Amino acid sequence: MENENEEDLKALQLRFVGKIIAGFTHEIKNYLAIIKESSGLIGDMIKMGKLSENDVPEYLEIIQSIEDQIGNAIEHFTHLNRFSHRMDTQISAFNLNECIEELIALLNRFARQKKIVLATDFQQDLPPVKSNPSMLQLLVFSFLENKIAGLEKNGRITVRTGAVDNAVAVKIIPEGTFAEGDADAGTTTGKIRENFIKQLGGNISQGAAKETVITLPVHGV
Amino acid sequence: MKQKDVKVLVVDDEVAFANTLAQRLKMRDMEVGTAYDGEQALSKLREKTPDVIILDLKMPGMHGMDVLKEIKRGYPHIQVILLTGHGTDRDEEEARRLGGFDFLNKPADIDHLERKIRKAFQEKLERTM
Repeated sequence: MENENEEDLKALQLRFVGKIIAGFTHEIKNYLAIIKESSGLIGDMIKMGKLSENDVPEYLEIIQSIEDQIGNAIEHFTHLNRFSHRMDTQISAFNLNECIEELIALLNRFARQKKIVLATDFQQDLPPVKSNPSMLQLLVFSFLENKIAGLEKNGRITVRTGAVDNAVAVKIIPEGTFAEGDADAGTTTGKIRENFIKQLGGNISQGAAKETVITLPVHGV
Repeated sequence: MKQKDVKVLVVDDEVAFANTLAQRLKMRDMEVGTAYDGEQALSKLREKTPDVIILDLKMPGMHGMDVLKEIKRGYPHIQVILLTGHGTDRDEEEARRLGGFDFLNKPADIDHLERKIRKAFQEKLERTM
């Protein structure tokens, strides 16, 4: 039984990292494609002899667009880099909002493909949490994955953070029509989640309307 | 008919990409429109029929492959070139089976793309003559 859980955990971890890399490479490739066409357009304009002073604003606009795409790409690289380094140490003090924001940025593409909006609603000035951020991200991912798969298009998922006493909470709130039954309960993933949350010393509860609340103690396990 | 008359529709959910590519093709004497998802592309076809469609595969909502199916069902003469950042061999096979004219990886070289568009247009003219 333990071995089975171990296998399921590994499968979930691989699926998670695979999704993140797939989404990341796709986004970066898109930014590069835009940069390539934009610089190509500058070349086209020069070859066509569009070299008068009147053409300057158009050139500047294209250059701005290139800079915007580079900015987007750098932001993505920063997210992926932080995400990877979270695995360096098991337990660390971290900012919950940053941890969730990074996860959402890396998973956004999959929601967007299904025309589902991934929104955040963060309580500011949360205390730093001493826990395992990678494990928390994997846990939140496992719920988001199910909800994205289950929701029909034009749905919305809000991830809300908040603090209560000596705990912080992550609330995942889906809105829209579910195409199929929410597979959150009773699966092997369910057992992995139970195991995780036990290790983190927290709690998972299912609220009304398929909401999920993950609570973590601020001062760690 | 002059070559200049080739009408192209660029379909891509990346707005900046679609617009820039459209601009570059216009500079190559083509008449170019844009659509930012599959549904929009299909509704544009009802107003005006292009000769060649440049179609992305992975778009929010309607998948490019389904858009291709719809185009070929309603407008079999339109030539469709798939331009995608992450196409697999299986996608290519499927696209060709559904009647796609060609399958290119994004970003494609603009001269290469231009040649493909003109070739697709030429074949369309020959077929409808």
